[in-house]
Amino acid sequence: MKRNTLSFRIIINVLLITASLFVLILSVYYIYARKTISEASKVYAIQLAENMEARIEQELQPLEKLPQMLSATIEMGFFHEDSLVQVLQTIVQNNPSVYGASMAFEPYFFDHKGLYFMPYAYRASDSIFTTYLGSNTYEYFYMDWYQIPAMLRKPYWSEPYYDEGGGNILMATYAVPVYSRRDNKRVFSGITTIDISLDKLTDLVSSISIFETGYAFMITRNGVAVTHPDKSMIMNKSIFSNAEDWGMPVLRQIGRELLRGESNFRSYNLRGKEKRWIYYTNLNSTRWSIAVVYPEHEMYASLTKMNRLVMLLIFAGLLFLVLLITKIVNRLASPLVKFAEAARLIAKGNFETPLPEVKTKDEMLELRQAFMQMQVQLTQYIENLKQTTADKEKIESELRIASEIQLSMIPHSFPPFPDLPQVDLFASLKSAKEVGGDLYDFFLIDNDKFCFAIGDVSGKGVPASLFMAVTRTLLRSIADKYNTPDDIMKVLNKSLAINNDSCMFVTFFLGILHLKTGELFYTNAGHNPPLYIGGNGQTKFMEMGTSIPLGLNEEYAYTCLNTQMQQGDKIFAYTDGVSEAENASLELFGEKRLYDCIAKHHNANTREIIGIMNNEIEQHVDGYMQSDDITMLTVVYNGQKREN
Amino acid sequence: MKTIKYFLVLAFVSSFYFGVQAQPQKLVFSPHWMPQAQFAGYYVAEEMGFYKDAGLDVEILHPSASVNAMQFLQSGQADIISLFLVSGLDNRFNGVDLVNIAQFSHNSALMFVAKKTSNINSLKDFNGKKIGIWRSGFEEIPKALINEHQLDVSWVPILSTVNLFLLDGIDIMTVMWYNEYNQIYLSGLNEDELSTFFLSDYGYNTPEDGLYVLQNTLNEKKDALQAFVEASIKGWQYAEKNRDFTLDIVIERMRQANVPSNKAHQQWMLDKVLELLNPIGETALENEEFDQVHSVLKNQYPEKPDVLFEDFFRPVR
Repeated sequence: MKRNTLSFRIIINVLLITASLFVLILSVYYIYARKTISEASKVYAIQLAENMEARIEQELQPLEKLPQMLSATIEMGFFHEDSLVQVLQTIVQNNPSVYGASMAFEPYFFDHKGLYFMPYAYRASDSIFTTYLGSNTYEYFYMDWYQIPAMLRKPYWSEPYYDEGGGNILMATYAVPVYSRRDNKRVFSGITTIDISLDKLTDLVSSISIFETGYAFMITRNGVAVTHPDKSMIMNKSIFSNAEDWGMPVLRQIGRELLRGESNFRSYNLRGKEKRWIYYTNLNSTRWSIAVVYPEHEMYASLTKMNRLVMLLIFAGLLFLVLLITKIVNRLASPLVKFAEAARLIAKGNFETPLPEVKTKDEMLELRQAFMQMQVQLTQYIENLKQTTADKEKIESELRIASEIQLSMIPHSFPPFPDLPQVDLFASLKSAKEVGGDLYDFFLIDNDKFCFAIGDVSGKGVPASLFMAVTRTLLRSIADKYNTPDDIMKVLNKSLAINNDSCMFVTFFLGILHLKTGELFYTNAGHNPPLYIGGNGQTKFMEMGTSIPLGLNEEYAYTCLNTQMQQGDKIFAYTDGVSEAENASLELFGEKRLYDCIAKHHNANTREIIGIMNNEIEQHVDGYMQSDDITMLTVVYNGQKREN
Repeated sequence: MKTIKYFLVLAFVSSFYFGVQAQPQKLVFSPHWMPQAQFAGYYVAEEMGFYKDAGLDVEILHPSASVNAMQFLQSGQADIISLFLVSGLDNRFNGVDLVNIAQFSHNSALMFVAKKTSNINSLKDFNGKKIGIWRSGFEEIPKALINEHQLDVSWVPILSTVNLFLLDGIDIMTVMWYNEYNQIYLSGLNEDELSTFFLSDYGYNTPEDGLYVLQNTLNEKKDALQAFVEASIKGWQYAEKNRDFTLDIVIERMRQANVPSNKAHQQWMLDKVLELLNPIGETALENEEFDQVHSVLKNQYPEKPDVLFEDFFRPVR
């Protein structure tokens, strides 16, 4: 799919928004679910541990009663010392959990029994045996089970131990101080004990499992493991030694809390890696502790599994969405491509291009109708344009012909009078785009009188051009009959003014140079004053006085002025197309620049002056469109000498 | 080429010859306690074949709950036993004809420990307190210190555990730095919760582990005993440089003997024992060391004749 297509953009946008929404929803759900699971797991772990605790206590408490009862009955003096061994035997016999029971007396408690007196009944090979313990190799007074309750005067659960020769059974001894009445005094007499197998308890704890590998364990008051999934731990390692071996101070911390009888639910990192949660609590009776441990990741295993499924579903869903949107968008947008193709064909001029069929009544149909309307209107417009263009071309062609005719009326051959050395002349007329109304002319009236003129008809276009043609034709016909420029101008003015309903006029300068004398007679009708370039280099605008253009007032009396031209004197005449030539910034060429340029090149000949001026004007306008005809004319008087 | 052939034949024949000659001498060694890192050097010497290389066939026989090393020695079941100097000398006072052949340790690991909660901060605070002390026979030195300071204490004989101390049945416990002190730590009491009193800081840096034999054995097997002491030193030196390896051996021996074992405790013990043995190989008992212990025991047995240093210490190397 191209990246800049409409469907691509729609799909990307929809996809991004949908995916973001999914991620957001999933995250919220995930966080909430984690929290719930974590809390539920905690409750579960605590419940497990507390149930376990209750069941252990249920096992131990009845057993604790046995030596307590025995101790109480001995204190009451119910038994003779020699009958004790039978009592103990009965206790072992009637309590399957009890592996041994003893009553150990203080040194020389009964004078006739000696230092040691400790009747003992024990279970071995499914039978009950009785014996008396205590010897210099079995000094029971110094053993923990005797010494500790004796010194503390409190019942004591011993640390668990392996029963030597008893089939490697893990045992613990519960020991209770015994008192007697002697001389009306209550005296400490010894310790009564029961040995019980811990198998039932360890089986109970070992059977607990939580999540995949979570487990329960029991540790003694010294932190030593009594049960643990790792058998090598049992009775070898303690929570404190593991804390050292694994470099986990947190285990020591937990162990110390347990010593203080505290319960807690907390997390720790196993050897700095796996995060685990643990709940631990103390058994009231033995002061041993039980704990339930589980790895955090297992707690979230089901959630992780579900997440994976949800992610998969979302991925599949998004994929399906992409396919669906692609199909829909492509179907909706396909006419657009056809419309684009049609538009391209229409742009090439094929207005009859068939438009794609649209079956839906929606924006696409509107587009089709708009296209159809456009086709119809374009066809009409182009038809009109064709007609207009043809008409315009016809007019332009006629105008071109008019312009050509106009220009052909003006003399073009230079030098105009090679046989007449007293005078030389050069002129140029550069038309603007439109047909203009500039004109110049020169001719000999007789052998001595050289007539030259320059003019500019008001307005532009065909009327100006016709007016110009009329002016020029009249000038030629009138000049023969009159000798002075003012007379010629009067007649010309009158002729032009009559029936001049369109109020056209022409500015006009007319000069008659007497070749023999160099005397120049001239009349001006509202035209720009020409420059007089003296042979000595002095340049100035010619004196004109005021006057109005021809054609405005048929009675106007034009005056004749005259000046004596010396050999080499020149006259430079021009129309306002020169002084008002504009550049792109609409700055006019200006009479000052015109003057400066002529003054600088006063020595140039007639042709050169006009060439220089053309260059100067081009430099000024700098390619900007020419809006008016540019007409220049230079006359030089060469004097009489040339005749010789 | 010919020379090499002859050499090989000679070597082959001589290996039989010396094999017959070097019949390994059987020796039974009994350490004075259950298997633990305290005796690591002997296990390493056996494991690494140092005894075998010395032409000995050594059996290490650990005492049990009912029979101690001294009994093994007297019954002839053991040729060599290890004992603390004070126990060795005590036996000599009591007529056992044993001699010290090598004094491995010259430092005391004995110490008193009290919980800071019982406010015992100096020896003076011991007055009126209960001190736990082992029944197994080296109570003389701690008692000598307490007597010297004229402290009124009651001694509570203990078989082996620190449980009575942990449960506050006694206020002070006599412990070995490398053993029970760490057991207390590994029962959850922190070091900063304990006040410690090293006997060595109070002028009783008495030597501890040494090797003992009966006078007769010394007369009969002097060369073998010398070889045993040399190989044992080698064992300790090897143990010092290869502690992890040594630790594995110790744990394995404990496991075989069904003695509860954990690495943390044995590591502590190995490190401390090696520290106390330093410099390894210094096996001569000094006269002054002997005199201090002798005078402690003399107080106990004022009527008995003195034991002479020369009769007691009979070095084999």
